[in-house]
Amino acid sequence: MDRSTSNADDALIAFRNVSLSLGGRPILENINLKVRRREFICVVGPSGCGKTTLLRLIAGLVHPDAGEVIYDGQVVGEPASDVALIFQDYSKALLPWRTASGNVSLALEASGTPKPERAQRIRALLDKVGLAHHADKYPAQLSGGMQQRLQIARCLAQGPSVLLMDEPFGALDAMTRQVLQDEVLRIAESGHTSVFFVTHDLEEAIYLGDRVVALRPNPGRVAEIFDVRLPRPRDQLSTREDPEFMRLRRVLFDFIQETES
Amino acid sequence: MSRLQRAGWAAASIAVGIAMIGIWQFIAWHKLVSPVFLPGPDQTWAALVDGFENGMLGEQTLETVERMIYGWVLASLLGTGLGALIGSSRRARELIAPTLEFIRPLPSSAMIPVGIAFFGLTKSMVVGVVAFGSIWPMLLATIHGFSAVEPRLIEVGRVLKLSRLQMAFKIAFPNAMPDIFAAMRLGLITALILSVVGEILAFQGGLGSHILEASRAYRSPDLFAGVIVLGMIGLTSNLVLSFLEARFLRWRRP
Ligand SMILES: Nc1ncnc2c1ncn2[C@@H]1O[C@H](COP(=O)(O)OP(=O)(O)OP(=O)(O)O)[C@@H](O)[C@H]1O
Ligand SMILES: [Mg+2]
Repeated sequence: MDRSTSNADDALIAFRNVSLSLGGRPILENINLKVRRREFICVVGPSGCGKTTLLRLIAGLVHPDAGEVIYDGQVVGEPASDVALIFQDYSKALLPWRTASGNVSLALEASGTPKPERAQRIRALLDKVGLAHHADKYPAQLSGGMQQRLQIARCLAQGPSVLLMDEPFGALDAMTRQVLQDEVLRIAESGHTSVFFVTHDLEEAIYLGDRVVALRPNPGRVAEIFDVRLPRPRDQLSTREDPEFMRLRRVLFDFIQETES
Repeated sequence: MSRLQRAGWAAASIAVGIAMIGIWQFIAWHKLVSPVFLPGPDQTWAALVDGFENGMLGEQTLETVERMIYGWVLASLLGTGLGALIGSSRRARELIAPTLEFIRPLPSSAMIPVGIAFFGLTKSMVVGVVAFGSIWPMLLATIHGFSAVEPRLIEVGRVLKLSRLQMAFKIAFPNAMPDIFAAMRLGLITALILSVVGEILAFQGGLGSHILEASRAYRSPDLFAGVIVLGMIGLTSNLVLSFLEARFLRWRRP
């Protein structure tokens, strides 16, 4: 089942025997995991098992006590400019004093994009996430779904090879959630982007992922990795009715039940 | 509040103002307080018109306003600059903040004798004292605004690989803006008070001297005219700042 032991060359991200303690408590223990190029990998597990920490390790926001995290053949040190991180709490991750275009602009300013080129790229990015008509609005004037779209647009402005997403749709209503799921799939597909997607929602993990990584808590360990053999492009109706989808949902559900008890 | 309600309140507040002037006039007419101390609104108005017509009051007003603005601008620039430096570094904050907390509650007019010792009885002394006395709100607000940035935004900056300078100008400074604006309002009033007190203590012209001379000569209408001009300066500058604040902090009330 575990394909992470396959050919090492196609791994974009690799955890090698990674352990990490925070505040004197072991949070992650001996993590081994590989993410292939252009792979959509979903991570599930009970609350507090270290999903966010895993993602922050890839982003270079925290560093392991033991083992190493490899990104694109290099040990992760400082954050890399082509690794984009989408936070769950979108309202806190946007600059409230900048309009939608200003927020996207931040990423372009950071990468040193010349000013004349920015306006056009901002427009294209906002268009891509369906915010073309809201360019001049401040984050507080946007709905939750729109704010998360804006954060995605800012991340895309980095021209990322990897999107790290931490429960990005957890706070959104079911309809918005489904629309955004499909948008992310489309964006990842067309941009040849690898995605590392943390979620609480098992169905979401199966619907989106090529593989689903299940973590076990205290301390966080990789418990099992499930291959998702569902055809792409995925479809909100037919994919979710697929017997394989339902089988996986059952297996994952039982698994989580067992780890949480 | 509806537009009608707001207009109603505005009308009521004007009525209150007129009523107060009426009571003032009543007291003056019936000499309930000696006219040596309390001139009527009519006499005060006459002194105002007279003062501006012969040019003296206008000149003194300009002197005071100039001093207030120089001192305040100096304080704002130094306050935000120093505040940014101190606020960006946790170590600097821990080192300097306790000392600042000690100096801050000192009444700013108590610094005037110190200022006289340093600069002598000069015009620059008054500006220096005004700046020194009104710098505290700006300094402390900037330190606070720079150190209280949403941790998520700092992470956004780190992930985007912003430089320290970009972090300061694109994230920390705008984050501190609301605090800085509130402090600049406070600082402006302090600057006005200090300009006048400085003028009184150092005999440097301006409205301070006007008020001092009028009170020594028991010319109470002139004294009151000076006080009213001071009130107008405070009111006008506050209005200008509110307007600027509403423009710059538009994102706060969508
Ligand atoms: N800076 C820190 N210092 C100490 N402990 C921390 C720190 N950050 C996280 N932890 C702890 O590490 C554990 C894992 O946290 P993490 O946020 O990675 O979990 P998670 O799986 O993302 O949880 P959730 O599903 O609730 O988001 C938690 O028990 C948390 O309390
Ligand atoms: Mg988390």
